Amino acid sequence: MSSNVVVVDNGAGYIKAGIGGDRDPKLVVPNCIGKPLSSKKFLYPDQLQSQDDLTSVTTRRPFDRGYLTNPDLQKEIWSHIFKTLLHINPNTSSLLLTEPLFNLPSIQHSMDEIVFEDLGFKSLFVADSPSLVHLYEASRRPDGLISRAQCSLIVDSGFSFTHAAPVLQNFTLNYGVKRLDLGGKALTNYFKELVSYRAVNVMDESFLIDEVKEKLCFVSLDLHRDLHIARKPGRDNLFKCTYVLPDGVTYTKGFIKDPDEAQRYRTLPDDSLSLLPITNGESGREEAEEKTGDRKKIDLTKNEFNLTNERFLVPEMLFRPADLGMNQAGIAECIVRAVNSCHSYLHPVLYDSIILTGGSTLFPRFAERLKRELRSLVPDDYKVKITTQEDPILGVWRGGSLLASSPDFESMCVTKSEYEELGSARCRRRFFH
Amino acid sequence: MEVEENSGPFRRTSSRTRKLANKMAAALSSTDNRTQAALARLEALENDNAAPEPLEAYDDDEASLDDDDDQVYTKKQSKNAKRKTRQAKALENVKKAPRTFMELLQEANLEALPPNVPSYLRAAVGPPSSTSRRHFCAVCGFTANYTCVRCGMRFCSPRCQVIHNDTRCLKFVA
Repeated sequence: MSSNVVVVDNGAGYIKAGIGGDRDPKLVVPNCIGKPLSSKKFLYPDQLQSQDDLTSVTTRRPFDRGYLTNPDLQKEIWSHIFKTLLHINPNTSSLLLTEPLFNLPSIQHSMDEIVFEDLGFKSLFVADSPSLVHLYEASRRPDGLISRAQCSLIVDSGFSFTHAAPVLQNFTLNYGVKRLDLGGKALTNYFKELVSYRAVNVMDESFLIDEVKEKLCFVSLDLHRDLHIARKPGRDNLFKCTYVLPDGVTYTKGFIKDPDEAQRYRTLPDDSLSLLPITNGESGREEAEEKTGDRKKIDLTKNEFNLTNERFLVPEMLFRPADLGMNQAGIAECIVRAVNSCHSYLHPVLYDSIILTGGSTLFPRFAERLKRELRSLVPDDYKVKITTQEDPILGVWRGGSLLASSPDFESMCVTKSEYEELGSARCRRRFFH
Repeated sequence: MEVEENSGPFRRTSSRTRKLANKMAAALSSTDNRTQAALARLEALENDNAAPEPLEAYDDDEASLDDDDDQVYTKKQSKNAKRKTRQAKALENVKKAPRTFMELLQEANLEALPPNVPSYLRAAVGPPSSTSRRHFCAVCGFTANYTCVRCGMRFCSPRCQVIHNDTRCLKFVA
């Protein structure tokens, strides 16, 4: 085993790439090329990351709706990563690649083509993310329920969509997988839309708003109560905070004006019973006046915008996509349906071993809210337990790294000669796709 | 007060406005426009960039210049020749431009699979069990009780209605 295994978790949002056996990937870069205003040509993702000024970047992504649609672009990005960033020689290494669930045959075909014909890897193993997450979590707690029952329900809320996928014996039960077409990208775009309409036009600032979303958004535990609080004027409004946009002169990165203020929502009691006194009618008008006052107060010399209810209304859409006009059930119902499509013997175990992964599960209080919603949907005698990964973005990669370092990994791969002999479709059968 | 006048055409006082309102009602009862608008909006949430990238990004500058010349030139030629070049151009563009996922999905023809085979289409979670939809004001984000008669968006108060009418009404429909 002189060869090494390259593990690539090829997400639509970020590429996580590194060497099998390591704990963390060597690099995590956005899976896109981008053209900042200052540059004339498109930059590779790592160059993009090192740019100071990311205002008005035009991006081009190889993925559309979570699936690879631009193989040429992906090939360019991959060969750049392998050659100049990871410094590996494809001819002597194997590749462990993740692909989205229900990948289309034509996409699989073009992926194989890139891996074997353009990049020339020695062998390839294709995995789906839920099984890798399961593998990782099961190995972390050898005597836990997940590894004893060899069964878990992975909720992967990524960049393009959210999947609830039951995993049994390291295999994703594909008949049980349920997908919600809402992920981080749509949330960022929705956030962008809200801010652009209400305050400053940021429609071109995807990277910036992505960051604001990560820093300031959170999941509301009681939407009704929180909307009331968000209406309050002055100090009583626990959600109001101000974000300062980069001006390109004194600071090139945006920042939160008052970090303490931004964290005040955490002081809210968790249980919704302790409702704060609500006054209707009158307070509404006061609030309106206060609002105009606030608008005047905003320092126009600085580019900044205020956020209140946007902070929790954006992640809220994951729980109720119908509010956005989508004809899809929320994430809790997604889980219930995924479980219900499995054998009834599995139900109690699946509910007891829900694992959250993917960047969109990083919103504060995501797990609490999900648990609450699930509790009312799941039969009383089943326990609901939600495990959050320590790093949801890298979870899949770590599982892949673990798999790549297992002794029989090489035997599971499809080698280049097999590919040349049998073609893409036949080789794929080995991965049970 | 100005606002009152602005929203005049939608009051049912004069015969003239009634005509308009009837037409509007006919257009809206098909619900086609609104569903289309809703779909367009959801579609917009999956965009990479706010504005579509200029097409020339896929060709080099010179090529696009040539195209312009061609068009001027072909205008004088017969219709047939013009159509041909356009078709050829369209074909070229199709080859060059990456295809969207929806196109690939259509091509994969997943509907043809037997019903017991799980596929992308069958994995979709499906409509929510409760049909109640909460509405948020398009302007300020709070609970909205009113619907815009023209475009169907929501607003919570006359204040927000004014802002909505001035800025965003019919944005996605027109």
